[in-house]
Amino acid sequence: MAVTTTYLGVPLYRPKVAFFDFTSCEGCQLQVVNNEANLLDFLSLVEVVNFREAMTEKSNDYEIAFVEGSVTREDEVRRLQEIRKNAKILVAFGSCACFGGVNQLKNRFNDLDWVKKEVYGDCPVDTKEAMPLEKYVKVDLHIYGCPVKKEEVEKIVLNVALGKAVNLPKYPVCMECKANGNICLFDIGEPCLGPITRAGCNSWCTNNRFGCWGCRGPAEDANVAQWQKIMRQHNFSRERMLDRLECFGGFDHLIER
Amino acid sequence: MEQKLKFVNILKEKNLQRPAHGLKAFEYSYPAEITNIYPMTENERLYQIKIRDEEERNSFSFKPGQFVMFEVPGIGEAPFSISSSSVRKGVFDLCIRHIGNLTNFLSQVKLGMRVGISGPFGSSFPIEDMVGQNILLIAGGLGIVPLRAPILSVLENRSRYRKVDIIYGAKKPRELLYTYEYEMWKKFDISLNIIVDQADETWQGDTGLITKPLAARIAGAGPAFSTNSYAIVCGPPVMYKFVCKLLIEAGVPARKIFVSLERRMHCGRGKCCRCNIGSTYTCLDGPVFDYWSVMNLKEAI
Amino acid sequence: MIFKTIKRDELANLYAKLAQHLIVGPVRKGLDKNNKAMYDFDRVDKFADLCLDYDTTKHSAKKYFLPFTETLCTFKIFKDSWHKKVDYNINEPIVMFGLHPCDINAFNKLDKVLLEGVYPTPYYAAKRKNIFIIGVDCQPQPWCFCRSMDTDTVLHGFDLFLTDLGDRYFIEINTATAYEILQQLDIQDPAPQDHQLFLQKTNEKADKFIASVDTTDLTKILDMEFQSPVWQEWGDRCLSCGTCANVCPTCYCYGVEEEVDLDLKNARKNKHSYSCNLIDFAEVAGGHNFRPESHTRLKYRYYHKHRGFVEAFEESLCVGCGRCGQACLADINVPEVIASVRQEKI
Repeated sequence: MAVTTTYLGVPLYRPKVAFFDFTSCEGCQLQVVNNEANLLDFLSLVEVVNFREAMTEKSNDYEIAFVEGSVTREDEVRRLQEIRKNAKILVAFGSCACFGGVNQLKNRFNDLDWVKKEVYGDCPVDTKEAMPLEKYVKVDLHIYGCPVKKEEVEKIVLNVALGKAVNLPKYPVCMECKANGNICLFDIGEPCLGPITRAGCNSWCTNNRFGCWGCRGPAEDANVAQWQKIMRQHNFSRERMLDRLECFGGFDHLIER
Repeated sequence: MEQKLKFVNILKEKNLQRPAHGLKAFEYSYPAEITNIYPMTENERLYQIKIRDEEERNSFSFKPGQFVMFEVPGIGEAPFSISSSSVRKGVFDLCIRHIGNLTNFLSQVKLGMRVGISGPFGSSFPIEDMVGQNILLIAGGLGIVPLRAPILSVLENRSRYRKVDIIYGAKKPRELLYTYEYEMWKKFDISLNIIVDQADETWQGDTGLITKPLAARIAGAGPAFSTNSYAIVCGPPVMYKFVCKLLIEAGVPARKIFVSLERRMHCGRGKCCRCNIGSTYTCLDGPVFDYWSVMNLKEAI
Repeated sequence: MIFKTIKRDELANLYAKLAQHLIVGPVRKGLDKNNKAMYDFDRVDKFADLCLDYDTTKHSAKKYFLPFTETLCTFKIFKDSWHKKVDYNINEPIVMFGLHPCDINAFNKLDKVLLEGVYPTPYYAAKRKNIFIIGVDCQPQPWCFCRSMDTDTVLHGFDLFLTDLGDRYFIEINTATAYEILQQLDIQDPAPQDHQLFLQKTNEKADKFIASVDTTDLTKILDMEFQSPVWQEWGDRCLSCGTCANVCPTCYCYGVEEEVDLDLKNARKNKHSYSCNLIDFAEVAGGHNFRPESHTRLKYRYYHKHRGFVEAFEESLCVGCGRCGQACLADINVPEVIASVRQEKI
């Protein structure tokens, strides 16, 4: 147990962490590397032992595994199970890991063989349906977002180091959007998943007048049925409604079809 | 020419209805330190807190039932009932279960840790009104914590009260708090009844729900019980319903039954509304309520 | 109260007099999907941007008094100790140009709990005492029910108040500061016909209200209908998104969160506006939630505004601006909710 630093006299435990990626754009990990201004402070809180995107050294001696991406191949399942065995805490890192993410859109085609042919042509890759990590292993902590918000990642890591609970917002994006003084996108005729999507992004998209696509998945006790009703009342087609709900995979189990 | 508006410094402004020091006090916390840590169970420890400045310490007094806001910078601030004698000035005990952010961090701290204290806040148990009467102190689980102050208050002036009962229920024997004090309580002619829900092999006492010893106590009481008794009740929400029902049926007036309610608080000063029951502030009008008020509060228990 | 009149053109000079300060007022925010102009309170950079004839704003003006996020104090963290620094987060007076009576009344109501309560809050007091308020009369909109809440006119809580009389404004002057400033401008004593016109305007306005809320015995009715099934029905619709509280000019509930900087050298205590409709509003440490279902939270919101506050201060915490109903995607609005509770059906 490496103790390097203290807070108000309480020694802080500096965990060994590793970053892994599965089927994804690796953009979430990029967020971590991106925080130049306080990267050194971040690294004093954790000891990174495995991070393909950022370093060459590799070790399987880690306690916290941040896993980005969805699982789409058989070999990925085995690799994930191996990570699960090594890690005390396995973190689903970003929307792909949490819900399947944009990748899971392919599951919505009836004929996966056709999909493979369209995408890979004559160089077939043995893929299956894109699944969130939880389909195969136990996940201890979810960090939502596409991509994850670096401030939130920093806060979570810091809270883990301080022994504070990781409390993600349970309320929807609307709360942050209104606090940011935005005019509701429904008022200007844009659909938005803000009323039912978990906040924590500081309404990044709607601040820029771009309707929410639900990358952080459903808020706690999200009233999806009411949102669907609202979409109908605003004359949005069923297709547009499902496009939103299905985009990142977080709402799958809540959609009223 | 432009007109410059005068900046009003509210701390000097005489026009405000409340004196400036009232405003200054809003976010002021007494610098304090943890002077003793006493482990009581697997999850609870008793922290002795001492206000550091002598003058502030001497001016800090509280009434049994009141709470303080306890702060560790950057970690959190939360309300805790004071769990010690109100005779001591500026030094008091908080019994803390390690379940939240602040309390989890506390489980790691050592003696001498600097903390912030504000308060005391809220209403208290009217111990003075109970002189010459029987007192039943009824606690379930962590509910014993806010009752320790009135218990000690009663002990300090034991002769002023008639029969005093402590009826205390816990889930398991190893969850019992203040076990080291039971003998002392008894020495002050207090009838102590402890009951656990799930006994273990070492448990010699009674097993069951708290209503059992209470019902027995009521059954054994004389006819004057309903007119010369006060009750102080504290425990989980579900306990109030059953315990208070028994007391009311035994003829104890609702105005003579006192409860201490737990709610989430973010300010302790009647501002954040997190502790509101209906629209009553638990932090201002409570945490101690008489049962008549509770019956009038929607969704209180 | 001192009355004056000011020519419409002269108003620009009033603006110019105050222009060295931050001026906040109603400004255009584009068109909605029906091509109707939308307004909000924002920084006004030039007099021409100020839209005094606005219908309503999407958000209330409360963020200037009660910011959605505010740092209550900062801590310097040392090895074994710490130092706390408190800041009320205002250094300069600001000007609010063009508040309607409902919004000024909202601040008067907030004053009762935040300024005159047992523990007055300096964060609010410091801002309230340093905001110069110019009120402006309004035209009732279909969703306005301020008349039912007795907030369609305002008597105090502003520096000066303007009523449009056509080519000139009728001014009610409430503070010496406002009087001093106006003295330097071209203002007139009101003629008898100005008073008459002012009264006529006021009477005309009173007749224009469409929405209303019957507040007769409302506190009692709310108590009697605590178990009414209509709450469940409204709760089923509620998105628990907090929008109503955020656009409301009088909602003041909040949560406090402490955070430590990544370098562990500084920490702070932040206040965030919260809404009683959010799922974890009444959740305590350990996880017990006193209001886990959306209808219990929605009901609480109405009890706080229309019952509890009345009990404490003899007036409702609602000013009838109708913003919550306008902003609610699920069409939950005060007149309909109260009516349904009174009639025991939706």
